[in-house]
Amino acid sequence: MDTIMRGTHVSGAVPESTVNPYRPWPARITSIMDLTPQEKLFELRLIDSDAREAFDFSAGQFVELSVFGVGEAPISISSAPSKQGFIELCVRNAGDVTGALHRKQCGDIVGLRGPFGRGFPFEEMKGHDVLLVAGGLGIAPLKSLINHIHDDRHDFGKVTILYGAKKPDEVLFRYQFDMWQHRDDFDLMLTVDQPDDTWEGEVGLVTRLFDKIDVDPENTYGAICGPPVMYKYVIAEMRKKAMDVDRIYVSFERRMKCGIGKCGHCGVGHQYACVDGPVFNYWEAMNLQEAI
Amino acid sequence: MFFRVIAKDRLPDLVRGLSTEFEVVGPVAKGEKFVLAPIEDPASLRLDYDTTVLPPKKWFFPPEETIMRFRVADNEVVDDEVYAPPRVLFGLHPCDVNSLLLMDNVFFGKYVDPYYRARRENTLIVGVSCTPSDTCFCNAWGTDETHWGFDIFLSDIGDSYFASIRSVKGAELVDRHVESRDITDEDTRLFQERTAAFKAAFSNDVDTSQLPLLLDAKFDSPIWEAFGEKCLACGACSMVCPTCYCFDVHDELEADQQHGRRVRTWDSCQFKEFAAVAHGQNFRDTRASRVKYRYYHKQWGYLSKFERVLCVGCGRCARACKANINPVRVVEALQTGVVD
Amino acid sequence: MAPRVVVVSLASDFGCQVQLTNMEDDLLDVLGLMDLTYWQLASSGHMPDAYDVAIIEGAVTTTEHVELLKDVRSKAAAVVAIGTCAVTGGIPALANTAGLETRYATVYGGGVAVAPGRIAPAPIDSIIDVDYHVPGCPIDTAEFLRGLSRVLQGLSDHMPDQMMCASCKVSENACFLEVGTVCLGLVTRAGCKAKCPSLGRPCTGCRGIAPDANLASAREVFARYGCDPASLASSLLVYNTAAEVTA
Repeated sequence: MDTIMRGTHVSGAVPESTVNPYRPWPARITSIMDLTPQEKLFELRLIDSDAREAFDFSAGQFVELSVFGVGEAPISISSAPSKQGFIELCVRNAGDVTGALHRKQCGDIVGLRGPFGRGFPFEEMKGHDVLLVAGGLGIAPLKSLINHIHDDRHDFGKVTILYGAKKPDEVLFRYQFDMWQHRDDFDLMLTVDQPDDTWEGEVGLVTRLFDKIDVDPENTYGAICGPPVMYKYVIAEMRKKAMDVDRIYVSFERRMKCGIGKCGHCGVGHQYACVDGPVFNYWEAMNLQEAI
Repeated sequence: MFFRVIAKDRLPDLVRGLSTEFEVVGPVAKGEKFVLAPIEDPASLRLDYDTTVLPPKKWFFPPEETIMRFRVADNEVVDDEVYAPPRVLFGLHPCDVNSLLLMDNVFFGKYVDPYYRARRENTLIVGVSCTPSDTCFCNAWGTDETHWGFDIFLSDIGDSYFASIRSVKGAELVDRHVESRDITDEDTRLFQERTAAFKAAFSNDVDTSQLPLLLDAKFDSPIWEAFGEKCLACGACSMVCPTCYCFDVHDELEADQQHGRRVRTWDSCQFKEFAAVAHGQNFRDTRASRVKYRYYHKQWGYLSKFERVLCVGCGRCARACKANINPVRVVEALQTGVVD
Repeated sequence: MAPRVVVVSLASDFGCQVQLTNMEDDLLDVLGLMDLTYWQLASSGHMPDAYDVAIIEGAVTTTEHVELLKDVRSKAAAVVAIGTCAVTGGIPALANTAGLETRYATVYGGGVAVAPGRIAPAPIDSIIDVDYHVPGCPIDTAEFLRGLSRVLQGLSDHMPDQMMCASCKVSENACFLEVGTVCLGLVTRAGCKAKCPSLGRPCTGCRGIAPDANLASAREVFARYGCDPASLASSLLVYNTAAEVTA
C-alpha cells in the first residue's frame, strides 16, 4: 500500500484516504544560492517522479520542510507554478530546522510535504493591474506571484512592485531586481531604511513609495506580504488610493506544525492560516480577530 | 433504531463476552477519581462514575505518540505503521460520545489523520446514561443526548438497561454475548421518566444566547484581563478536555544519533510559546489573550467550520483548573461583563 | 572528528554525574559519539587544554570556581549545565537565604577557617554564558540524552517553559493541592513527566520555577486549598533564589 501523502493533489490510483499526510516525500537539493548573509535560495526536486509531476501549486502556497532529527518548518514557495519539476524556497536561518537546512549541501536529501494552504487568486487577478508590496522576507511568497505574472505577462495590465528592506545587503533577489528596474513592463521600486554608501535607490519605509505611483482603483488587485507590523500601514495607503477591500490580498505568517488544519498552532481569529490562508483578502482579514 | 432491554445483573456477561474479541476499556477507580483503563474483571467496571480524569480522546489520540521512525543518513521514513487493536470503550457518558464526533470533524475531512482513523475504525463505543454532577453543563449544548456516535447505548431504567443499538456490530454483540428482550411500553415509559429526571437534575443553566457574536463584539472586554490574572497558564484545561485536539510535533534521535522518531504530543493554546514564530514574534504573548483564544476558538472558530461549538459541557476543565476558571462562569462573565 | 568532551564538577553531590553512569543501555552508544577526554568522577587524569564541549555539574561557590568557569568558557565551543545546582544554584544556593556569613557561622561556629575564597552560591550562567541547560535534581537520563543530541547537532537550547501541572493531568494523578498538601507543580518547570506525583509524592520544584509561572495566582490557589500562601515561597526557596520566589 502506498502510504505516501500528496496533499491536495492526490490523484490516480492512490485513494486519498490511504495516504499519510504527515509523511514527507524525499526531495533532493539541486541548487543553493546565497542571497544575503541570512538567506539562501534552495532549489528542490522531489525524487519520486510521479510525485514531482503531480506537485501542482499556486503562488502563495507553502510546503512543510523536514530535516529528520531536527524537525519540520513551514516555508512559502518562491518559484512560479509555471515552472514545473522543481520548487525554490527562500529561507532565512532563523531556527533549528532552517539552520539545519542552511548547513545542507547540494545533493543532500530533505523531506517535503505539500503544497498547502490557499494562495493568491491568480486567475481572478488576470485582466487587471496588479500592485505588489513586500517588506523584508515577505518577498519570498510574492516572488512566486511575480514570476508567475512574468510568465503570463500579456494577461495582466500594469504591474507595480514595491519592495522595502532594512539595509541594501538585505535586499533579496537583487540580482534579478536590479535588472528589472530597467524593464518597461514592470514598474519596480526598491527602498531601504538604512542606506549605505553604495545605495543609490529610494530611502525610507515602503509606504513612502505610494506617493510615486498611480493606481486605477477600479481595476487593481493588491498583494501584500511582510512583517506583521507592516500590513496596517500598507493597507491604509492602498485604501487611500481607493482600492476595494476585497481586492487587497495579504499573506500571513503564523506558527504552523501540521499544515493541514489539525495541530491548531496557526489560529488567526476564527480561522487557521494553514488551510483558510495563508492568503486572505482584506475584507476577510478585517473580520479576523488578531489578524492585523 | 433498534432497542433491547438488558437486566443489570446480566451486564457482566456482555463485558466478559466482549473481552473474548476486544480489549475492553472502561471507567475504573483510581484513588478518589476515575480513569478509563483496560478492564480485566467486569467487577472493576464502575458505571456509577461521575467523570474520568482524562477523556476518551487518549484512546484515539494518545498524549504522546510516535508517528513515524526515520533514518538520519538519507532522511528516509522507515516506518509509519499504526498499532490499533480491536477495542471497546465501555461506559462513555453522552458528553464523551459526542466529543468523539467533534474530534472526527478535525481528524477526518480533506486530510485524514491515519493514526486517529486506524484507532477510531477499530473501536466500538458503548455509552451509558449518567447523573449530572455540579460541574456538568452538557445541557447547554444539547450534548446531554446521544443520537449517534455509539454502537450500543445503555440507559439506566432501574433494574435494567434500556439499550439503544445503533450498529450491526452492536446488535451482533448483544445477540451473541448477553441475554436481552424486546422493549415494552412500560420500559419506554421508564426511559422517559428517567430522562425527565436527568434533565431536571442539572444545577448549571448557561445562557448561550448569541455567544459567537458576543465573543466578537466584546473581544476587547476587560473580563479577559481578569481571567488572565487568574490563569496559571498550566494547560491542565486542555489536557483534560475531550475536544482539545491541538498537538506539537518534535523529533527525537536514538542514542546512536543515526535513527529517530517523529513524536506528537498534546499541546495547549494556553502555553506561552504556542503561537510564537521563529523570528521571535508571539501572536498571543499574554495569558489574557490565550484564555480568550481558548473560548473564542471553541465557541466561534470551530463553530464557523462545523456548525457546532467545540465543547460538550463535561466540566473536566472546571475540575482541573486550580485557579477556579469555570467555563460556566466565563460565559456568564461574557454575558454580564462582570467577573465575580 | 568526534567532539572532545570534558565533565566538570563544581559544588554538588555528584548525583547528576552518577545519573550519567546509570545510562547503562545507552552509555556505549553515547561514548561512541564523543571523545570523552576528562571526567573526574570516572578517571584520575587531568583537564586537557583543548576540548569542544564542557558538561558542568554543580553551583559556583568559590572564586576558584569562577576562574575555572572563565577558563572553560574560553576553550569550549559549547557549555552544558546539568542539574539544578548548575542551572538555578539549587541546594547550595540555599545558603544565601539568611545571608551567607550568618549561615557559615551557624553551621561551623565562629573563628574556624573553612572554605577559603567562598562566594555566595550561584548558577553557572551568572558567571559565564551557558549554551544548554538540563535541569533536574538529579537530571533525567533521557532528558540528558535529548539535550546531548541537540548539542551534537548544533541545535538551540530547549528547556520547556511550561508548568508541570499539565503532565500530572496527563498521568491522571490525584491532585495533592485538592487534599491540602503543598505541591509545587503549578509553578515548576515541566519536562519530568510528573515523575514524583506519579510515584505518590508531591512536586518539590526541583526543576526550578517555570518562566511562565503565575506566582501571584498560585498563592491564591494555595490559600483556597488550605495551604499557607507563604509556604509557596518558602518551599520554592529550596531550588530557587529569594528574588525569584517573591516575583
